Order: sequence, then C-alpha cells, then structure tokens
Amino acid sequence: MVKRFRTTAALAGVVMILVVACGSSSPTTAPATAAPATAAPAATAAPAATAAPAATPAATATPAATATPAADLPAVPTGYAELDKALGADKPYNGKKVSIQTQWTGQEAEGFAAAIKDFQAATGIVVQHDSIGSSHETVLKTRVEGGQPPDMSQIAQPTAVLAYAKEGKLQDIATLVGADGAAKLKAEFPSTIGLTSQGDKIWSIPTKADVKSMIWYPVKAFAAKGYQVPKTWDELVALSDKIIADGSHPFCVSAGGPGTATGWELTDWVEEVLAKSEDPQVTADWVSHKITFEDPKIKAAFDKVGSLLFKQGAVDGGGPAIVNQDLKTAMDPMFNQDTAAPGCWMQKIPTWYGPGFFPDQRTSGQPSKYIIGDTGDIGIFPFPTISDQFKGVEGSADSFMVFNDRPEVRALAEFLATPEGLEGWIKSTGVLSPNVKVPADWYAGNYKLSVANAILGAGTSVIFDASDLMPPAVGQGSFWTGISDWANANGANTADVLKAIDDSWPK
Amino acid sequence: MAVDRAQGSGSYGSSRLVLVGSLIGLALAAIGVSILIDHHGGQNLLATIYDALGNTAGAEALRNGQGDQFLAKLLLVAIALLVGVGGIWLLFTGVSAVVERFPPRIRDRVLPLVFIAPAVLLLTIYLVYPAVSTVIRSFEDDAGAFTMANWASLATPPFLEIMRNNILWLVIGTSGSVGLGLLTAALFDRIRRESLAKVFVFLPLAISLVGATVIWKFVYAWAPPSQPQYGLLNAIWTGLPFGFQPIPWATQFPINLPSEMVILIWLQTGFAMVVFSAAIKGVSTEIIEAARLDGATERQLFFGVVVPMIRGTIVTVTTTIAIVTLKIFDIVMSISGGRNHDDVVAVRMFAEMFQFFNDGRAAALATILFIAVLPVMIFNLRNFRRQAAM
Repeated sequence: MVKRFRTTAALAGVVMILVVACGSSSPTTAPATAAPATAAPAATAAPAATAAPAATPAATATPAATATPAADLPAVPTGYAELDKALGADKPYNGKKVSIQTQWTGQEAEGFAAAIKDFQAATGIVVQHDSIGSSHETVLKTRVEGGQPPDMSQIAQPTAVLAYAKEGKLQDIATLVGADGAAKLKAEFPSTIGLTSQGDKIWSIPTKADVKSMIWYPVKAFAAKGYQVPKTWDELVALSDKIIADGSHPFCVSAGGPGTATGWELTDWVEEVLAKSEDPQVTADWVSHKITFEDPKIKAAFDKVGSLLFKQGAVDGGGPAIVNQDLKTAMDPMFNQDTAAPGCWMQKIPTWYGPGFFPDQRTSGQPSKYIIGDTGDIGIFPFPTISDQFKGVEGSADSFMVFNDRPEVRALAEFLATPEGLEGWIKSTGVLSPNVKVPADWYAGNYKLSVANAILGAGTSVIFDASDLMPPAVGQGSFWTGISDWANANGANTADVLKAIDDSWPK
Repeated sequence: MAVDRAQGSGSYGSSRLVLVGSLIGLALAAIGVSILIDHHGGQNLLATIYDALGNTAGAEALRNGQGDQFLAKLLLVAIALLVGVGGIWLLFTGVSAVVERFPPRIRDRVLPLVFIAPAVLLLTIYLVYPAVSTVIRSFEDDAGAFTMANWASLATPPFLEIMRNNILWLVIGTSGSVGLGLLTAALFDRIRRESLAKVFVFLPLAISLVGATVIWKFVYAWAPPSQPQYGLLNAIWTGLPFGFQPIPWATQFPINLPSEMVILIWLQTGFAMVVFSAAIKGVSTEIIEAARLDGATERQLFFGVVVPMIRGTIVTVTTTIAIVTLKIFDIVMSISGGRNHDDVVAVRMFAEMFQFFNDGRAAALATILFIAVLPVMIFNLRNFRRQAAM
C-alpha cells in the first residue's frame, strides 16, 4: 500500500516537472532577460565614457542651449516626442534594447553602425543589429510569420512593406510618432513616404536612397578620343553610333545577377526612358496596372531602349550577352583604358555601385587604384534628357518597418528619420539620404554622392523604381523573365513579351 | 504475487536513483531549452559567465551585440547538443523507470507506447501538422477565406511550363542516372582496378548540389565572341575547327534544361553504380555459368539473367532518384533561379512564398510536389516490404 502510494507520488512528481518544464519557457526567460537589464547601466556607461566623454554630457545637460550638438545627433527639441525624451539628461531608456534586422553587410553595415553610434552613447539604448545579408528577406519572413519579429527591419521593396502591412504585422508609424511627427515625416520625405502610406497610416520610414539616373564612364578614354559627355538622348545615340563606327562597343549592360536577381538592370533602362519621356503619372498608372505593358507609351519606351542597346555592336555579343553577363564583371572591359581602348564605354548603374565591384578590388580585396571623379579614372554623368518637359529622376529607397511598439523602439525609429540619423553613415562610408533636410555639404567630400544629389536637384520629379512597386510576382518575376527573353531575342519579340507580362499580372 | 514483489523491491533502489536523477536532468533540460528559445540566449549566458569570472568589459560587449560572438554560438551549440541528446536519453530512462514500477501486465502494454510516443509526437508536430496546414492553406486566400484561385492559377501557361520541366527532369534525369549507373556497374565489373574506376564515378556524389552547380557554371560559362572563352565547354566548342559561335549553355532555353540535368546525372550516376555493382556481385556465379553453358551470349546473359535478378535493386534506385528529380531545387536555383524557362515546382514554390508573398499559391505548389512524390514513396515502401519478406 505504501509502495503504491510512493509510485503514484513519483508519477505525479514527473507530471509536475514536465508541466513546469513546458510552461517555464516564459518564467525562466524572464530572469535571463532581467539579468542583463540590471547589469546594463555599467554597459552603457562604458561606451559613453570612451566615445565622447565631453560632447554627450554637454549636449544632453543643456538641451535648449545647444543648437547643434557636437555629435551626430539632432538638436532638441527634435520634433519627435519619444526621441526628445530619450535624449534627455536622465536617459530614461538607458539599457533598453532594440533589435533591428537588415540586409546590410560589409561597408553598409559599417556605415549603419557609424550612424547609430552617437545615438546609443547619448541615450543608453542598445541597438542589437542582425546583419543577415542576401537571405535577409527569407529570414525576416520566417521570423515575422513565426511570431518573433525583430523590433525594426530594413527592406528594399515598398511592395513587401505593404504586404506585411496587409497581414497586420506592422506598427503604424503615424500613430507612433503622433500627428506632428507624421506631418514632419511627410514634409521631410516628400517623394518617398507616400510609397508605403495608406490613407493616414505610414508603414515605413525611408532610409537609404539610391539614384539610378546615372551613367558611369571611363574619363581618360573619353578625353583621349575626344568624346563629349552626352546631355540629350540624341547626343547619346550619336555618341553610341560614333563608338560603334570606331570599332568598339558603347554599352556595358548586365541583366545577370547579383544571384538570381536577373533582369533588373534592363528593366531600369525602360523605366528610366519612361521617366524621361512621359508624365510621372504614366509610370504611376503603369505600376497600378491602369495602363498595361501593351500600352503604346510603354511599348514606345521598350522600343527606344531596344533601338539603342540592340543595335549591331552596341553591346559586345548583343542581347544574349546582356542576359549572360554577370553584374560583377560586366564593367570590366572599361578598366583597360590606360593601355588600350576600353571594351565598353558606358554603364547605367545606381549609386550603390562602387570600387568594391572594380576588377582590382574585387579580386584582390585591396582598395581599388581607380579613382572615381571627373578628373579621375571613372566618372559619372546624369542620364541624358529626352523631353524638355519631363525630367524625372529614377531612384529607389530602403525603408524601416516597425514590428514592435515600445518607447525605445519609437525613439530609434524617430532618430533614424531625422537628417542626423544617417549623418554618421553619410560621412563615413557614404550613403544618400532620402530626407530632403539633409544639407548638401554633408556630401561635399564624396564625388559620387555629390553627383547623385545634383541629379536629384536637377530633376523635375523623383520616380521610384517602377518594378519595385509592381506586385512582386511581376516586378521581380515575370518582368525580369520577360525582359531576359526580350534581350535573348535582341528585341525582336517585343509584342509577345509585353503580352506575356500582362497575362501574368495577378488578377 | 511474491515474484512480482521481489522484482519490484529488487529494482527499487536503483530505480529511485534513476528517477531523481532524470527529474533533475529534465529540469536542467528545461532551462537549456529556455536559453535556446531566447534570441540572444547564447550571448546573454556567456555574458553572465563572464560577469561571474569578473570580465565585465567582455560581458558588456557581448550584450551590446559585439565581442565573442563565435564563442557564444559555440556555447549555444554545446547546449543544444546536451539538451537534444541528453534530454531525449533522460526522458526515456526517466519514463521507463516509472513504467517499470507498474504491474507487469500493464507495463508490457504501456512500455512500447512510451518508447514510440516521442517519435510519433515529433512526427506529428514537424510533419503531419505542417502537411495538413499546407493543404488547407492552398485553399485559402490572403484573408483566410476559401478559394480555388490558387489551384486555378496553376493551369496558366507559366505554371504548365514548370510542370513540363519537372516531368522532363523526372524522365531524363532519372533514366539518365539509372541507365548510366547500370552501364558503368556492368562494365566496371569486368575490368581490373575496378574499385579505382568506381571511385572516379562515385566521387561527385560527395559534392553538394550547390557546389556541383558552381563547378558546372564554370564549365558552361559564356563570354562574348570577341572575348576569350573562359568557360571550359565554350573554349572547346569555339576551338573546334568549324568556326562555331559560343553557346550560352546555362542561360538560354532550351539548351539550359539538358545542361542542368547533366549536373544531376553526374552526381547520381555514382550512387546508382555503387548499388548496382553490389547487386550484380550478388548474382550467384552458378546461375551465370549455367546460362553460359546453355549458350547465352553476353548480351542475353546481361538482359536475360542479371537484370531480372537485380530487378528489386533497380526499382529501389529508380524510385530514390525519381524523388530527387521531382524535388529538384538547388541546381535550378543556383544556375539562374529558374528565370530562363527552366523553372521547376520547388524553385517556384520558394519564390512564391518568400519573394512574391503568395503564400496560398506556394502552398498549392507544395501540395502538388507532395502528391507527385507520394505514389513513388508508396511504391518504394511496398518494394522494400516485398524484399524484406523474400
């Protein structure tokens, strides 16, 4: 009898332990997270002491008196409630953590780290940055669907932001920052905030911008041959013909890569020509499928690109070469200008392009010997104008989504929305901010960014990359596939390709 | 009754020790799991250890997402191994210690269930539940309402093209691997240094699909006709004295389909060959000699005697490779992501899920793949059972 009692008691014990073990995941994690919190004051005191012992206390001690803080921080009052609070002398969010997941690795990750360095020191908020790289979108979706999203995340496609918003996973930033903050966001990001807004709701904060309306060219070879930088489409065609007549190939175009992202460089060409020849509303209607790919205006843009790039000799190897060339190596023939005539002369590629892709740095890992600049080796000129009336600039921008609402997350989101939020990045590894309040002189030391900023200033409107705004099944799917087909056939099948893309549009 | 009691008291002392030990172990495992669940568990734990050791600077660096990240990850791996392997072992010893104390009649009935329960539970959580929810998801739209749209969209030309590609993979990829495997196995059976020859055919199997694709990308690489051809195949092709133009083997339809299948055949032939070779050696020499005495030619001997005798092996190898070809993903994904009319179901499923945000259509594609593999699996299992019965 006693034995049986013991047996049942033991059994009950096992059951209890199991229940506790299964249910304990939250109680036991609580101490785990609590422990760092208690140790955190020391953590944040150390960086503050090492980073800027004089600057940060001064800035936070007398917020009203200092108009421009010495560090990369916005002057208080910033116009955002939670950020003002976070920058207060009492550091209310000291030791609080914000997790953020991005695609940025290498130089971009370094730049982002520089951007948030002073913010962390001044507020005591600890930013845990998960830099994922090329599988970022997959990892993010898995985390979000699994119910454990990061507090914030960067993403390139506005359509992806809207998809998460539709699933109800995002915080409405207009609510987080309040009415005044929302008005400020709309004023400072006039051309980008609307892409991820729906009515009064704002689903993401634009962060890192790229200008796509630029063409890279070999400066010395242009001078040696007496070629002039083309200002208009007609001049571009004339220059192209001249280079072909001289026995070379004017364009380096690659629709291969990086990775499986094939075709976008060619879709960019079509979008650029459309932005430069038609009213911005045409692109907007195209993106929303009010007009189809078979519309005469869209077909005209395809034909215009085709007449330039698929001309005999325009690209070494013709259309199939565009599909086959890897993005990484496409511009290589441009770099032998010191010893011989370049194998190709012009490549349309966005601001994110740079020395990391140049053949010497790519293969050796050492800093490239080629200098980017009007007096250097590789220069950049604005994409030639087509119409006098419409001078749209093609661009794209990453933006930040907010998944969890906590005061410290609000503070970081608000900080990244200020011009100073990217200051550290702009001045270290270089990045273009979509915030119009960023002073032009921050870009002064950087030729590429100065050119990009000048292009933005000269344009009549900024037109966001159309394929990034289309449904992803088209913008990253059938549009890419179709344009590869088009190039493989040297543009002979335009009508078929346009129809196939239209047919694939989600019903 | 007397025997029963004797047994019970005999194992009593050690059983209680085991019981208490495993309970403590389970509690430890629960703590381990809680660390594994925490997103920054490894870093936090290592930081705590650093704090205990007096290395506060290192601890702070870790909590800020810097410092010994690698060490933190190693720690996490160690915990995962301990909890995973040790936890399961403890669970079995602990539970069996409890069950041992039951009356023998109940014990004999309960014990098998106890041992099979964790496996069934895990299978249900990780296989049955996702499979069922995938099928359900394929009939839902974004709002979760019932719809046939996901399935209807699969009848459109782009998806029919995908199905066609998968069927081509199934037919050509499987028959190529099995045919070449059988041929090499039969031929190598008759040469000296057989094992050396087999090693060369078998070696590619050790390479991952992605790795093999990268290797073959260099073979298939294309450069404009004016440039030197660095791709092996195009270098040979244009080097021939016929003035051939370079061909984009991997990126232009339709040549890209056979190009990709060659990669799989290159990998799978070795597997087929090794299994066939073993089976051929298993055919008894008496039968072969008897056939020879009866005047069979070598061809008759092979197709009339050897092949029928290893029929079971051929079926098993064929079904195994057929499943590989149906699920083909890595090769197509690494070549160009299926952008040049070479898309297959698995690649499109991934794209629909993670790039196009069409979860419903991705689920429908997954279900198709599941249904396509199912008959092959059942056939294979039946075959196994028949062989086991023999």
